[in-house]
Amino acid sequence: MESGHRNFGLMEMSAIREMANIGLGHATTALATVTGKGFNMEIPNVETVAFERVPLMFGDPEETAVGICMPIEGDINGHTAFLFPWASAQQLWQLLIGYAPETPDEIDELSASAMLEIGNIVSSSFLNAISDMSGLKLHATPPMVSVDIVYSIAASIVAEAEIEDAVALALETRLYGLEGLDITGYFLCVPTMGGLNKLFHALGIPEAA
Amino acid sequence: MPPANQLLVGMAEIKVAKGPATFTCLGLGSCIGLVIIDEQADVCGMVHVMLPESFKDKPVDKPGKFADTGIPELIAQMEKLGASKSRMIMAYAGGAQVFKYGSDSSSRLDVGARNGEAVTKILKAMGARILASDIGGSNGRTVTVNAEDGEMRVRTVHGGEKTLCSLKRARRLAA
Repeated sequence: MESGHRNFGLMEMSAIREMANIGLGHATTALATVTGKGFNMEIPNVETVAFERVPLMFGDPEETAVGICMPIEGDINGHTAFLFPWASAQQLWQLLIGYAPETPDEIDELSASAMLEIGNIVSSSFLNAISDMSGLKLHATPPMVSVDIVYSIAASIVAEAEIEDAVALALETRLYGLEGLDITGYFLCVPTMGGLNKLFHALGIPEAA
Repeated sequence: MPPANQLLVGMAEIKVAKGPATFTCLGLGSCIGLVIIDEQADVCGMVHVMLPESFKDKPVDKPGKFADTGIPELIAQMEKLGASKSRMIMAYAGGAQVFKYGSDSSSRLDVGARNGEAVTKILKAMGARILASDIGGSNGRTVTVNAEDGEMRVRTVHGGEKTLCSLKRARRLAA
C-alpha cells in the first residue's frame, strides 16, 4: 500500500464528504463576511490520495500558487491547507485589500497578512464546524503562507505529514462569486489516521477492520 | 534527431540513465534532489528525497523517499549500469522552508533543514565528491540536469534560473 492512501468504505467516505461540506460551508460564509461578497462553494471532488500523487493534483505542477497551511491540534492532529493558483489569489487580494501584487516579489506586509487572515478565518470556522458536529476538541494553530511553485508547497506539506501516520484527503473546491468572480482553490486535509478514527467513532461509524 | 531521454523524477523516485538524458525534479520544497554522475561510464542518476531517515518500525516502501535509503539505492542502480563509486561526482539542491510568512513558521515544518543536514552528513561519511549544493532558504526549486554536458540548473519563482554547476567540466578541471 502506498503511504497516505487508505481505501475507506462508503460510510467513512460519506462521513468525510459530509465533514468537508459542513466545514467548508462555514468557511465560505466566513470568507463572504470578510470580503463583503456573496460566495458559493462547490466541492466537485473528494478523494484519498497517495502522498506521492498529492503535488500533481493542483493543475500545472510548475505554476505559481499561494499556499496557506494550517496545522490542527487537539483530538485530531494534522494539517489543512488551501492552495490558490496565482490568478485566483490575485482576485482574493483585490477583494480583501483593494489591490493585488503583480508578481510574487511584490508581496508586501499587507498582502501577506491578508492571506494569513484568510487562513485564520477559514481554518477556525472549518474546525469549529467539525467540533460542533463531532464533539471533538480541535483548535487551529497560527497559519503559515507560502508563495511558490505549487508542487513545492504541496510536497512540503505531505513530507511533514509523512512523519506521522497520516492520510491525505484532497478536495477540489471552486468558489463562485456573485459578481463574476471565478476563484479556484484546492483544499487539502491531512489528518492522522488515529485522529480520523476518533472522528469516525464520534460520528458513530464502527471502526474499519 | 531522436527525442531526448527526458526523465521526470517525482517525489520518492530514483531515475538512472546511461547516455544522453535530462533529469528534472519539479518544485523541490523541503525535498532534496541529488544528482550523481560518472562521466567515464556515461551514467547519470537522480533521487528525489522526501525525508531524512527511514522509519525503524515500518518497512521501506520506496527507498527513494528517505536520504538514508535513497542515496545507497541510487548508487547501486548506477553501478548496475557500469558506474563506479570512485568516479562519482555529486551535487544536490532543495531543503527549503517554503512557508516564509506567518508567526512562528521557523519552528514548524522544518523537514527541509533536516533533509539538508541528513544528505550532507551521509555524503560526507561516504567520502563522496560533492561539487556543489544549493540548500535551505525559503524558495522552492526546480532542478534540471543535462547528463550530456553535465549542466545543473536551478530555477526559482523569485530568482529565475541559474546554473549551479557543470558536473562534467569540474571533473576535467580536477583531473
